[in-house]
Amino acid sequence: MFLSKKAIPRRALLRSAQAALALPLLDAMIPAATAWQKTPAKPVRRLGYVFVPMGCDHARWTPPGSGRLGELSPILASLKPVQDQLTVITNLRLQNAYPGTHDTSNSAFLSAASSKHTESSDYFLGITADQIAAKEMGKETQLPSLQLAMDLNLLAGVCNNGYACVYQNCLSWSSPTTPLPSEAHPRVVFERLFGEGGNADARRAALRNRTSLLDSFTQEIARIKQRVGSPDRVRLDQYIESVRQLEREIERAEQGVANNKMPDLDRPVGVPAAFADHARLMFDLQILAFQADITRVIAFQLTREQSNRTYPEIGVPDPHHPTSHHGNDPVKVEKIAKINTYHVSLFSSFLQKMKATPDGNGSLLDHTVYLYGSGMGNPSLHDHENLPILVAGGAATGLKGGRHIRYEKGTNLSNLHLTLLDRVGVQLESFVDSTGKVEELFDQVDVA
Amino acid sequence: MGEMMNRLPAPGRAALLAVAVSVALHAQPRQQQFVDRYCAACHNERVKSGGLSLAHADLSRPGAQPKLWEKVARKLRTGVMPPPQAPQPAEADRQALLRQVENTLDAASAGRLNPGRTETLRRLNRTEYQNAIRDLLALDIDAASLLPADESGHGYDNVNVSELSPTLLNRYISAAQKISRLAVGGTQTSLQSDTISLPADLTQEDHLPGMPLGTRGGVSALYTFPQNGEYEIQVSLMRDLAGVVSGLRTSRAHEMLVLVDREPVHTFTVSRATLGNETLNEKTLQTRIRVKAGPHQLAVTFLREGASLIDTPRQPTASRFNDRRHPRTAPAIDRIAVTGPYDATGVGETPSRLRLFVCRPAGPDQAREEECASTILSALMRRAYRRPVEKTEADKPLAYYRRGRANGDFDAGITMAVTAVLTSPEFLFRVESDPKHVAAGGAYRVSDLDLASRLSFFLWSSIPDDELLDVAAGGKLSQPGEIEKQARRMLVDRRAHNLATNFAGQWLRLRNIDAMQPSGNLFRDFDANLRQALRQETELFFDSVVREDRSVRDFIKADYTFLNERLARHYGLPNIYGSRMRRVPLTPDSRRGGLLRHGSVLSVTSYATRTSPVLRGLLVLRNILGAPPPTPPPNVPALNESTMAANLPMRERLAAHRSNPACASCHRTIDPVGFALENFNAVGQWRDLEVEDQPVDSSGALPGDKEFRGIDGLEAALLRRPELFVAALTENLLTFALGRGIEYYDAPAVRNIVGGAEKDNYRFSSLILGIVKSVPFQMRRTEHQ
Repeated sequence: MFLSKKAIPRRALLRSAQAALALPLLDAMIPAATAWQKTPAKPVRRLGYVFVPMGCDHARWTPPGSGRLGELSPILASLKPVQDQLTVITNLRLQNAYPGTHDTSNSAFLSAASSKHTESSDYFLGITADQIAAKEMGKETQLPSLQLAMDLNLLAGVCNNGYACVYQNCLSWSSPTTPLPSEAHPRVVFERLFGEGGNADARRAALRNRTSLLDSFTQEIARIKQRVGSPDRVRLDQYIESVRQLEREIERAEQGVANNKMPDLDRPVGVPAAFADHARLMFDLQILAFQADITRVIAFQLTREQSNRTYPEIGVPDPHHPTSHHGNDPVKVEKIAKINTYHVSLFSSFLQKMKATPDGNGSLLDHTVYLYGSGMGNPSLHDHENLPILVAGGAATGLKGGRHIRYEKGTNLSNLHLTLLDRVGVQLESFVDSTGKVEELFDQVDVA
Repeated sequence: MGEMMNRLPAPGRAALLAVAVSVALHAQPRQQQFVDRYCAACHNERVKSGGLSLAHADLSRPGAQPKLWEKVARKLRTGVMPPPQAPQPAEADRQALLRQVENTLDAASAGRLNPGRTETLRRLNRTEYQNAIRDLLALDIDAASLLPADESGHGYDNVNVSELSPTLLNRYISAAQKISRLAVGGTQTSLQSDTISLPADLTQEDHLPGMPLGTRGGVSALYTFPQNGEYEIQVSLMRDLAGVVSGLRTSRAHEMLVLVDREPVHTFTVSRATLGNETLNEKTLQTRIRVKAGPHQLAVTFLREGASLIDTPRQPTASRFNDRRHPRTAPAIDRIAVTGPYDATGVGETPSRLRLFVCRPAGPDQAREEECASTILSALMRRAYRRPVEKTEADKPLAYYRRGRANGDFDAGITMAVTAVLTSPEFLFRVESDPKHVAAGGAYRVSDLDLASRLSFFLWSSIPDDELLDVAAGGKLSQPGEIEKQARRMLVDRRAHNLATNFAGQWLRLRNIDAMQPSGNLFRDFDANLRQALRQETELFFDSVVREDRSVRDFIKADYTFLNERLARHYGLPNIYGSRMRRVPLTPDSRRGGLLRHGSVLSVTSYATRTSPVLRGLLVLRNILGAPPPTPPPNVPALNESTMAANLPMRERLAAHRSNPACASCHRTIDPVGFALENFNAVGQWRDLEVEDQPVDSSGALPGDKEFRGIDGLEAALLRRPELFVAALTENLLTFALGRGIEYYDAPAVRNIVGGAEKDNYRFSSLILGIVKSVPFQMRRTEHQ
């Protein structure tokens, strides 16, 4: 274990998540002055992305048939409990990720753009889909978006084939020249979201303390106002306005505590030693972030491209990257499949938790769309064709689930990005090299 | 001159003005000839070059149009006008006109004081906040982790500081809570965890500056432990991009030490065997140490193996951190996590507790506790609010004390009260309000207390100390000679190092060093060690001029600099060994010396793959000469990089600047300055040959001056007219001192300061004293109606 006394068990962190009651949407939760009062509240829409590296073993990934999602493939078997909210898409591609590299697999996943080939600070990519969403959806939340990862060490300089390390480190880019750093340390993420945490009483006390400090601040501003002339009083009024905004946020947070939606929040101190524990903790933090409505857009890099991580816990003591260059050796291919299965199972646990967490008039999963996948298809060929892609959740936004969309020809991943952005209310003409939308996500499917 | 005018009785002032005007009228025909001959061809009503027409400018009374004539004077004095292609006046004529115009402007300004107006409300910026906490509570914090970066205005980050966003306010509150807990000593027992990270491109093969002798690599940081107790130290090693620990090639073991205040407290053995499976997080590199509360020097580093034990491979580069280019040959430290306190046993006497607790409760009852609390808070508030406080003002934070006391002990109460003091706008903001009796648009003397703050935030970027505060509170700061005395005292204080780090760091753009990433292909040997050395060379050099009160001419040309082995190697200078930065006397062939030869300045004015004569020219013109070119026109088309062959010499690559008339109007002034520095490559190394082994053509020129060659020529040209550089430096210092941009009405004060400094051979202190005694520093203009 990491700490010499038992690391805080994950279960303690989310003490009441499973036991939480389904709260009906109370009148008090609907702003009185809006027309929404007479209608069910607008379902909150959230968007999440999970990236895994180095493609997959297609033989064991791709489910048979197409249309309705019937029998799941070996790698996807763990998703059975949420199958009705899952869509597998086959034959999506990233044109702009070529030539085949690990860096561009990561950088193109959310941007669908080509990376400028440089190892210096003059990198250039594009705006990633999650950031486009964040610009809209982030207006109402404390954090416009959250960038998470699992690898703690940052790399500097050149990473691979003359590409700067930012391409491999950063999934989200808020502008072609602004990669967003991600956080892999659970404590740092927790503190960003919740400060000190603690039980409901402690959090209430902390919020009240803050309000009180803001009151004092306001009073002293009023005193200063008497000493200055009129243009400066305008400036002081601006400060008061900032205080008011902050007070509103605190009010929102206090309501969250009062409605008892949040369990006791123990701040994690260290990084769990085992990969699965660390990953589950990072997934749990995403659920908490959504529950507390701190953010509605999350991008999570489950493992970095070119990762040499080993997975002895599932019987794969070999490093991931060299094994992924399997050259069709069946032993190696099977190991890759095991790793793929492992990653998917972690995602599946997360989805099941989301399904079990109430939100509004449904579950967290109903109101959230997740895209899980890789920017690389066949790792042995280093190509960016037939990417492993899953879309989960979002029933309340119209996503039908329970299907397997199989394209005849390679179709651009940007089509999917365009579609998902549309579903969360960001309507664009096109996204990078998109040729249309993935309408099949919403079609009625004949139950054959 | 302005001050003298101020003290003259009114009739005397009028007499002096009359003399000035009559001088103007007498000289008019000759000066009018000058304008007609050298200016009117472009600056007439029809052509109006640069938007300026001199048709309605009255040469006999420049004082009536100061904004126009100060602009003209600046252009003429710095030689920017007349432009290079136009006929140039004789030097004597130019100087005569300038003298006449400037004298008149000075006289006019004296009769109509305009000290300018700083913002009424200015919050402490991040640097000032950090320093204020240090001086207030004897606590070293990392403000960069608590507060967002500040915006810059006019080149300095203490100019645009009147905004307060909700996010910033929130962060100030969080910071205050964290700081007060740390200062009082943590009555809570919650675990705190911090991470000390090392730069990924730090070479750790050898001894690093500041580390104990006999070690290599690693880091030493001042860490404040909140309570007495046990702390878990977890070390993570640098890994390559495959996730493998770097530098563990052979089976050899490396000894890694944990030191607290230079005493070893634990040893780890790092080898392939002990680490087990390399790709997992290290579970074995953790230990618990028992530490007393307060600040301690925490270091983790490797024992340096004797040279005889290693078969030292040939090392073409000093940099070793990238497994593709120059892999590590020994393991290195990535980050250290400190978690604790476990088994906490209270808190002893830390420096911050000693500073804060000026008394202890005389007895256990509430009345005596509150009396002491009130004393503590009054003392704190006086320093924090930078003014004397009434006893009743302590009632406000005392209410917070009571709340904390009710839920805890005396310390808990003090913690809450300190938070309240640190979130007060009286601490966070500097407020300069107009006195009631002064008319709109009039000038008034800044109060002693406000002046004290101006002085300390200028020289130290921090709050006034007790001595300065006492002098100001007693109304003595405005007495003759006092402010000079205080300024001199503050300049020799350790805190004046702020000028070398904070001021020079912005004046010379040194902060950009951390972000620069030279192309690894072209500049293989560039790492964090070099970055740090480059920056320190300039900071130490600037500091030496301040401490030794040297002439600021030394900034342009000096016969010494500061080097360590890494930097000396970078510059190709022999016989410098060891990691310590030390003063080195220079010989002429060393090619080093003044600021314009510092690798730091030369690197931040370059791109990742090549030098930029434009950026260098701009830095010199703006910050060294005080002749900023106008902003580029709005629709400059994007450079089509591919059409400019990379193997052309730099001068040819920038040929379009000269051939296109729209570009040439500015670039024929900017580029020649940068060309003079072409002997220094993009990372500040000397070169005689540039791309494709073509010899560097370093001929260049300053505006309005004759051509010269190379850095030697540039330095000589600058030193021939030192008043220009001194004026530029003064303007930058004044911007930093006032926290506002310098306007045309400040020009007479600047001239006054430069004139005074000249009498003292331009010593650094003469600039500082000139500034603190100047009209803009000592006075302020009220709001116009």
